[in-house]
Amino acid sequence: MLLFRSEDDILAWCEQRHMTPGAVFDLARLWSLATVWYDDRLNSAWRRRTIPERQAILDAVGLTGSFWRLTDS
Amino acid sequence: MSTDPVRLTPGRLVRDSEIRLWIYQHFVDTGRAPSPVEIAAHFQLTPSEIEDRLRRLQDEADALVLLPGSHHIWMAEPFSAVPTSFLVRSGTRQWWGNCVWDALAILALVGTDGSVFTACPHSGQPLVVSATKGSLEGAQGIVHFAVPAHEWWRDIGFT
Repeated sequence: MLLFRSEDDILAWCEQRHMTPGAVFDLARLWSLATVWYDDRLNSAWRRRTIPERQAILDAVGLTGSFWRLTDS
Repeated sequence: MSTDPVRLTPGRLVRDSEIRLWIYQHFVDTGRAPSPVEIAAHFQLTPSEIEDRLRRLQDEADALVLLPGSHHIWMAEPFSAVPTSFLVRSGTRQWWGNCVWDALAILALVGTDGSVFTACPHSGQPLVVSATKGSLEGAQGIVHFAVPAHEWWRDIGFT
C-alpha cells in the first residue's frame, strides 16, 4: 500500500508498470482502518483474528466489494 | 515439534505468547527488532530453542514474518525490522512501517503523536502525514492498494 501525491500519479505509475489500478481512497479512511486493524498487538492474549473478524473491520470502515473480500470464494 | 512451554527456571515457564509480546514491546521501546541472540538471552533459552519458537510464531501463530532463510525477524506487523519507504517519527523515537497503512498503525498502536514520512512513488514528492491526539493533520496524498485483499498474504513483501 503506497501513498501518492494525486490520482493522476497513481494512474501514471500503474501505466508505467502495465498494472491495472487497484483501490484508491483517502487518508482519513486509511487512518480509520489503521487505528483498529492492529489494536490488539500489544495484548498478552493476542491471537490472529479470524477472517470473518478481519472482514468485519474492513466492512466497518466502508471497505466493501469484491476487492476487499479476504477470501476469493 | 512440542508446543509445550519451555521451563525457564524451576516453576517458570516461557510461553510463545510472552516471547511475542516481548518482541513487540522491544519494537515499541527501541524502534528495532531484537535479534534471536537477544531474545534467547532475555528468556534464558538456547539459540536452537529460540529459533524453534520464532519459527512457530511465524508458521503456527502467524505472529511474525522472518527474513527468508534466517531466524531474524523481518516483520512484526505493523513494524518492519528493516528500513522501508515509510519512516515513522515521534519526538526522538522512530520506527519503520511495512507500508503506509502499517506506518499509520504504528502511531495508533504506540498511542503517540507523530508523523509518517514517505514520498510519492511516481512524482517523488515528499509526503508527510501527521497524527495529533488521535487525528490526522494536514494529510497529504491519496492511498493506492494494488493487491486485492484475498492476495495480501500471498507475497507479503510485495503487498
